[in-house]
Amino acid sequence: MRKRVDHEVRRRISQTIVALWVFLPVQTWAGEWTEKVKFSGFASGDVRFDIEDYRGLTPGDGYTFSMNRNDLDLRLEIAPADRVNVVIDTRLRYFGFNKADDLVTLPARDRVDPFDVRLDEAFVGVRGFVWKNMDLKVGRMAQQWGAADMFNPTDNLNARDFTDPLDYTAKVPNQMIEIDLYPADWLSLTAVWVPVFKPSQLPASAALGFAVERDRNGCLLRAPVPPLRDRDDAEALSDLFSATDPCALNFANTSVRTVYPDNGLGDSQAALRAKVKAGDLDLSLSYCYGRFTFPIAYDAYADVAPSATRPGTMDVTYAAEVMYPRMQVAGLDMSYSAPWLFDIGFVGEIALIFPEEVVFGLRVPAGGGRFAKGISTVNVPSDPFIKATAGVDYTFTRWLYMNAMYVRGFFDEFNDLYGIHNYVVLTAEMKFFEDELHLRLSGILNADDMSSVVYPQATWVVVPSVELVLGAFVFGGDTSPSDPLDYAAREKFGQKAAGRSVAFLKTKVTW
Amino acid sequence: MRRFWAGFGIGFLFCTLTLLPPAAAEGPGPQEILERMEKTINGFDDQEMDLRLTIVDVDGSKKSYEFTIWQKGDQKRLIKFTSGEIKGMATLVQDRNNVYVYLPGFKKVRRVAAHNMNQSFAGSDFSNDDMATVSWTKIYTASPGKEEADAWWITATPKPGEQVEYSKVDLKLDKKTGTQQRAVYFNKAGEKVKTFDNTNLTDWNGVPRAKNVVVADPRTGHRTEMEVKSFKVNQGLKDDMFTVRELQWGK
Repeated sequence: MRKRVDHEVRRRISQTIVALWVFLPVQTWAGEWTEKVKFSGFASGDVRFDIEDYRGLTPGDGYTFSMNRNDLDLRLEIAPADRVNVVIDTRLRYFGFNKADDLVTLPARDRVDPFDVRLDEAFVGVRGFVWKNMDLKVGRMAQQWGAADMFNPTDNLNARDFTDPLDYTAKVPNQMIEIDLYPADWLSLTAVWVPVFKPSQLPASAALGFAVERDRNGCLLRAPVPPLRDRDDAEALSDLFSATDPCALNFANTSVRTVYPDNGLGDSQAALRAKVKAGDLDLSLSYCYGRFTFPIAYDAYADVAPSATRPGTMDVTYAAEVMYPRMQVAGLDMSYSAPWLFDIGFVGEIALIFPEEVVFGLRVPAGGGRFAKGISTVNVPSDPFIKATAGVDYTFTRWLYMNAMYVRGFFDEFNDLYGIHNYVVLTAEMKFFEDELHLRLSGILNADDMSSVVYPQATWVVVPSVELVLGAFVFGGDTSPSDPLDYAAREKFGQKAAGRSVAFLKTKVTW
Repeated sequence: MRRFWAGFGIGFLFCTLTLLPPAAAEGPGPQEILERMEKTINGFDDQEMDLRLTIVDVDGSKKSYEFTIWQKGDQKRLIKFTSGEIKGMATLVQDRNNVYVYLPGFKKVRRVAAHNMNQSFAGSDFSNDDMATVSWTKIYTASPGKEEADAWWITATPKPGEQVEYSKVDLKLDKKTGTQQRAVYFNKAGEKVKTFDNTNLTDWNGVPRAKNVVVADPRTGHRTEMEVKSFKVNQGLKDDMFTVRELQWGK
């Protein structure tokens, strides 16, 4: 009996020791890692409805849902050791529209409910790397340079993600190495190297900029205009198509190919920046050896020939190529609060851009008249040009804030034949009910062609962490160019390539 | 977007949650009282506080945010929101003229312009300037007020050249403990615009500080309740923590 009791005691003691051996370290480890790991993120929904029917590929398309998106963002910040920080930011995106177009694909969940997974950030930072005043960051990230709101001509390292026209701030993350030096309180230096080029993502509507427009009967309405400086060339090219019955043209072979730089060492990008703090003034000087991340037209081939398969009609072959030219950018940005002028805030950015020359070539085979031997014209001259932003902002009352900016050169402008345009950006923000209701009205006016965007939205913070946003994004301007033969005659926000006017309802829960 | 500006400055919080050391037997002068209060507010190498901010509307509805404050000396302060739709937003106060904010939505550090300082802090009854004001004695001078049996009243008025949204602040301080019991703020038109009431004096490992503060707007009946969840001092926080480098570190 006693032996059995002893055995039971020993068994319990050994169980306790094993339990302590197993669980104590785990608990300690868990306790340590609770301190070392920060978890955050959000879940969001975004439903949009096209509120017009004239900005699609075909007139009459519209008044339908154009977005039904859900995002789940998970962000981890881990500090595995002193002075080391790791950031991982992932996003699961469900698009909300069925892509199963036949019975064979109907069983596939990813077709019925398509999604993608994104890695927005994944980098490690080492503080006090080599020298106590030097930090190192390596990995996948997005740089944010410049002092102005949204329109930052000195911010050129990451490509833009314009798949969502309502989000001008989104970027395409890229792998890079960043070194930051802090030699003095008033001075910081940054150097970034980006080994591989990535292009900007364009909105779905961008394809309309290169698309052939047809009416409901399939007859040609308008063909894309190539960047030809000589008007006689443009007219001659137009004659090629107009000589044929617009309802007898087959556009089966049209394409726009993107030509990317190689992945060699010489094709990488780098940038330097010095930030100086001097009293009420913050100033940055920067230099970037990079590439323009939006495509520039540089080559095209066009042919119109009798169709071998559809007698009585003509087959049109149109192939264009776009590329991403080199550029060097010398930048300056500043922010300043003027105590001598009602504390008004001033921001300014100026980028002097030295572009690679882009020569556009057009080839039309025999039968193309004056194009038979091809022509070339300078699309982007090598002359330096300026993109800039200058703005003021002011808080009038506890509930009213306004911001006004002049912008020279939109994100996708590179002094090609379209030119560099001038814009006025105005924003008014109002807050009510302990910041539970935010009203925001933004507008952008192209001062050269007078096309515009109006962007009103109301945000209701239902409870802390939960937001409901209702708004609209409305384009104004003519969808047709004032001169169909002039590459630069399309209106910036009027052209169909800019996108659709939408009303939207967004929800977001943050944690 | 400008609700982010609400994230800087927490000066008042410290200023209103503090105690005075026991008063001298002979009544001290008003400037001495203010300096003693300053010492109890900022008389530490550094401070760390976890707080819950509850905004109470006139209809009784409530919403809460949580944030942490780190402070070094009587000038530098770092504030990070840890809950709500503004979670991740951080504000660095290097001094009242050098305030920076990290905006997680933009992943960017921006300097806060002076005109933003009069905006509400996260929809509460605190203004951004309140929260960015760390030191009383650098900004205010004191003049005597009425004396009650167990409390002194002093009036704090801004020093010449100091840009403050108030014309004066009446402070009620307990004679026995030196605790700031009440503060009444007046705007430049002379209207009473804000009151602070400090309660639930708590010993935080030997450092006494009020656990609860109620800030109210007598014009609207709107109020904000602040609860101190933890409070530590002299932990050896480094100067590096109060730099733009720190604000953007790991972002």
